[in-house]
Amino acid sequence: MRDDEAALEELEERMASLRRALRAALVQRDSARARRLRAELRRTEREWEELAAPAERKAPRRLPAREQAHRVLTLLGVAAAPRLISAVHGAFFPGDLPASRLWNLRRDEERSYRSAPGARPYYLCPALTADLLAPARGLLTVSTWPLERRIIGPHSPRVDFLTAAVRISTEVLARRRAGRPWPPQARARAERLLQELAAGIPDALPPPARGAARADPEQVARAAETELAIHAETDRRERAAAAERARRLGDTERLFGIRLAPVPGRATMGR
Amino acid sequence: MDSAAARLAALRGAAPPVNHDARTLAGLSANPGCARRALLDACGADKGKIARRAGHPWQFGMSPFALARGRDFERRLKDNGAALLLALLRQELELPLEEVAYVPLETVGDNTGRELRHRNTCRRLLAAAAGREPGTLFDHPLLRLQIGGVPVYLEPDLVALKAAGRFHVVEIKSFPVIDGRADPEHAAAAVKQAAVYVVALQEMFAEHGVDPDVVATSVVLVTPKNFGNTPTATQVDARKQIATIRRQLRRMRRVEELLEPLPPGLTFDLAPDECGRPTRPPEELTAHLRQVPSRYRPGCIARCELAGLCRSEARERGSLDVFGPDVADVLGGIDTVEAALALAEGTRAPTEEQADIARALRHAERLRAELAGEPARPSRPGTEPAGERAERPPARSAGGAA
Repeated sequence: MRDDEAALEELEERMASLRRALRAALVQRDSARARRLRAELRRTEREWEELAAPAERKAPRRLPAREQAHRVLTLLGVAAAPRLISAVHGAFFPGDLPASRLWNLRRDEERSYRSAPGARPYYLCPALTADLLAPARGLLTVSTWPLERRIIGPHSPRVDFLTAAVRISTEVLARRRAGRPWPPQARARAERLLQELAAGIPDALPPPARGAARADPEQVARAAETELAIHAETDRRERAAAAERARRLGDTERLFGIRLAPVPGRATMGR
Repeated sequence: MDSAAARLAALRGAAPPVNHDARTLAGLSANPGCARRALLDACGADKGKIARRAGHPWQFGMSPFALARGRDFERRLKDNGAALLLALLRQELELPLEEVAYVPLETVGDNTGRELRHRNTCRRLLAAAAGREPGTLFDHPLLRLQIGGVPVYLEPDLVALKAAGRFHVVEIKSFPVIDGRADPEHAAAAVKQAAVYVVALQEMFAEHGVDPDVVATSVVLVTPKNFGNTPTATQVDARKQIATIRRQLRRMRRVEELLEPLPPGLTFDLAPDECGRPTRPPEELTAHLRQVPSRYRPGCIARCELAGLCRSEARERGSLDVFGPDVADVLGGIDTVEAALALAEGTRAPTEEQADIARALRHAERLRAELAGEPARPSRPGTEPAGERAERPPARSAGGAA
């Protein structure tokens, strides 16, 4: 329950800073900003109440989606798409996290950041494309990660996939060995996920002798590491170069990417 | 070309030109003999609207279920840095392990404008061809092709660059390959569509001074295997289809030849009112459409919005094309249902080259009569008429569904 204690404190701090920002906005008669801040404050208060009133709990408490996603991303250590986040969550954490709950997360996080920058200890941000430093479609990262890890270069999708496969295999192994309680349903989901990942990695599956070969986490991790060694250096260089450029951006753009908004009302069809 | 462009604009009427895509281009090459379709496509007329106004709305097209299944299948292949797709391509194209660089071209930042996407596609593909930038999997590039003087944007599912330096068009389709065999109609359409992309890629490279040979003339079809959702990749030689598409494109460039025999004043204008509702009398529209010769085949139903109109016209004429290429081939040299029936019933003496077919037709007619319990009519080719009963044509029961 130490986690809850810390989370409550964090939320309280956040409420205080939001109230301060709200007062400032009211003094400046900035009603649009005040409205945004009030909504954010109400959301935070709700989170606080959910967390602070354990007596009312019936089923195991469901964490806010952002915290669920944060746990998964911390486990994976690389940028991930909502579908993978949802699958990993189902395999290792209690409760469910449908991918659909993650689709709007990025926008909510950005709104929250813009209304009160830095009020939260972390934000879920998009990965940034190496070429344009624009938000990469559908990939979530954590704001506290080093920039290099949040950048997606040409080799990064493969590197991140292999890294995720290593992390997931390692987690499966650790759970099996530690004998920690692991509901059979979640365990089955983990094995299915592992099987799926293994299908995309050379030599990750034992040669098919009779029937379908079952993925062995040790072999999957080893195979992924082997291929990882081929791409790691190229990827590192590409990411470092892009991160260098990204460091020159303003805070918001560094977190949420450069927007290349379309010019409205201009059809590009030639005649 | 200016006068041709003006004539095409007059044919189309007030409406803005409709965009082509790989599907419409593939459909066009499926029936190259059809001047009606070639002309309507060349002028960018909205065939769907025209068919509806002429009283033959098109009832086919892709089902939403098929579309959803297709999207789902493609997503599965491209999830996790296209891991599954990469595994297949490593197998099929012998892609080396280090070739994994993935270049998403579906948007440029948050922008999905076609012109910008196309420019970005060109830049990235050219840089990869020159070896300046890494790139193996190009996801949803946006290509452009000039068709009858109008630029058309085309979006392949994926273009893969093999280490040996050749680009392969990869087409993801959700129709299954069962026991190594795909539905021939579906497979042919997919290869044709991929061939359009090959041509567009070749043109793009040629335009920028790169040898178009960097584009492989074989395409990779990725489809589900058997009844499950496991993907499988097949490399298909598309040289023939590419040649067909090129021929077709040249033909659309030579649109004057199509325009030349048309009477002046011909137009497919729907004369829309302010709300865009067509006001042109359907009879008049149909009459104008009929002045452009069509070549109906049963396959048109799946590919062309005008198919209903052309079919009813072909039926009126008693054309054998209605029964499909199989029947038309068997009855080569005979054009109409009436002629075939007359030969079968012996009411018409066959010419010398029709003798074989006439014999076959009479045989079929005898069998049919036996089955129907009618008295057989003895007759041999070349003899006089043997009766004047009007009855159902023999082929109609076999090909009636067409």
